[in-house]
Amino acid sequence: MVTRVTPDLSVQLGRLHLAYPTLMGSGCYGSGIEYAPFVDLARIGAVVLKSVTRQPRLGNPTPRLVHTPAGMLNAIGLQNPGIAWYLEHDVAKYADRPCAMVGSVAGFSIDDYAYVCERLAARAEIDAIELNISCPNVASEGETFACDPALTAKVVRAARATTDKTLIVKLSPNVTDIAAVAREAEAAGADALAVINTVRGMAIDVEAWRPRLGNVTGGLSGAAIRPIAVLAVYEVARAVRIPIVGQGGIETVTDALEFFLAGASAISIGTANFTDPRTPERIVAGLSEYLQRRNLTRIGAIVGRANRGFANRQEYEGDQG
Amino acid sequence: MPLLESTARVHATTVVDRRELAAGIIVLGFDAPELVAATRPGQYLMAIPPGGEVCATALGIYEAQGTRASILFFVTGKRTRALAELRPGDALTVMGPLGVGFDLSGGVRDVAIVAGGVGIASVLLPAQALLRAGARVQLYYGARNAALLVDAERFVTEGCELLAATDDGSRGHHGYVHEALARAPHAPDLILACGPTPMLRAVAKVAAERRVPAQLSLEETFACGVGGCWGCVVPIAATSAQAPSFPPAALGGSDVVNARVCTEGPVFWAHDLRW
Ligand SMILES: Cc1cc2nc3c(=O)[nH]c(=O)nc-3n(C[C@H](O)[C@H](O)[C@H](O)COP(=O)(O)O)c2cc1C
Ligand code: FES
Repeated sequence: MVTRVTPDLSVQLGRLHLAYPTLMGSGCYGSGIEYAPFVDLARIGAVVLKSVTRQPRLGNPTPRLVHTPAGMLNAIGLQNPGIAWYLEHDVAKYADRPCAMVGSVAGFSIDDYAYVCERLAARAEIDAIELNISCPNVASEGETFACDPALTAKVVRAARATTDKTLIVKLSPNVTDIAAVAREAEAAGADALAVINTVRGMAIDVEAWRPRLGNVTGGLSGAAIRPIAVLAVYEVARAVRIPIVGQGGIETVTDALEFFLAGASAISIGTANFTDPRTPERIVAGLSEYLQRRNLTRIGAIVGRANRGFANRQEYEGDQG
Repeated sequence: MPLLESTARVHATTVVDRRELAAGIIVLGFDAPELVAATRPGQYLMAIPPGGEVCATALGIYEAQGTRASILFFVTGKRTRALAELRPGDALTVMGPLGVGFDLSGGVRDVAIVAGGVGIASVLLPAQALLRAGARVQLYYGARNAALLVDAERFVTEGCELLAATDDGSRGHHGYVHEALARAPHAPDLILACGPTPMLRAVAKVAAERRVPAQLSLEETFACGVGGCWGCVVPIAATSAQAPSFPPAALGGSDVVNARVCTEGPVFWAHDLRW
């Protein structure tokens, strides 16, 4: 008889320790409280908050959402009250959350990112910062940061200088060479990388002869982008040694396992919460079961195991649990 | 926003009743006593798609009595088609009740309820509550043709006065339902409306002209349905009691703000909307 211990699902992202390797995607989970009637927040790793900018933003015109095959398009346009209002009225409410709270920072200039990052990271309620340099839904340069390795380096360096808290940099799939951007982010001081943000897309109303989103273009999420995301994680994991938060269409434990095996140390769930809020709990239970079945004692034991060029291989090699 | 005190839950239920009211218009009844006890008129639920499609489907709570709740919907796409395939005995998981329903306080005596098409799904509960409170309830009910005026007699049985309107003139007023409302000899104390956006805009206009307060249950594409994604917004006056927290224009913000239809709504006062 094998005695089965509960596997250790905890994960370390820089200085941030998470009890579970499941983060809830920025912009998809409010501040967590919206989902509290349906899930036990103590059983998720972290909520990544909606991205906040220096100035208030009303966001894009409607429609902001379109359901598409195996996914959806969104173009919210970073609606948020701006950092000053956010710090004064919203952040204090996050103090009593039973999971980690990751602040998400978006901006339009390097100075914006540093400004917002410094102020948000200074708050005790915020455990780590995610730099959203990859939002596809704003008219100006939002996404061009993550599309340009040199700009990525500059913005990450500027944000890094403002805080010692864990800095996660969220990359865009809408690039030719995501590994090149990842290397720059790592060199500039990122503690972890979120891979990937949404894929640019569009849908057209054939009766009205116009785009279906108020913003014309949007970001595609959900199962439709999963293979794109798995490949992106695989490529980034060969290029950097910092941990990766894999995301893009994760709905089931099998989907989650693909990301871990490609080289992600943690995963993020966004759109699947819209389908069923019990998804994160199911995935955590499924991961435990999978590791037990294989007599592995920790989630780290499977990270990158399907990726022969996994840059962090040494660290995980020989770890059979 | 008392979200922490939300009575919404995930309810794993079983379909006990399925009626096809007209081609592609389905009522599914299911046992969910806790949902029934928590539901207030005008609230909705999110049905978790049984076929694995992406995103749950927002549906008005049609009936809620005793242990039984029901949803009434038109088959319009993959997700509603999957729901329409459910039969008694099949599992159905729903989240709810969600959103802020109709405000029926204030002792109204004479109410016009305007429903267009599938909007009928959200007005039975307010009609019943108003009738119970002794109000006169006129139902202005519009559809493309008489066959699509589903469950109209049900509302009559409940005690509503029915004023039908059809696009093809096959029953009642030949034309739009708001035209019937505009012609009513006596203005009601309150108008409640649920239906397609063009109908709601027209009802808002009639209400303003006749100086009658109106509550509109809006229709918008939802993703999360619980306030987490800000995908379902409508512009409203920052002075509205339903306005979400946002800096005023004087602080670089705005006096018209985007409220979530799923959370601050789906029911808004017509005079608050800036759409
Ligand atoms: C409605 C919606 C809003 C989003 N808003 C943000 C945002 O504000 N900031 C951000 O970094 N990512 C945002 N995202 C991207 C998600 O966090 C996630 O990276 C992406 O959707 C892929 O994961 P998924 O397929 O599990 O949703 C948003 C996604 C959706 C669907
Ligand atoms: S549908 Fe997500 S906030 Fe309304």
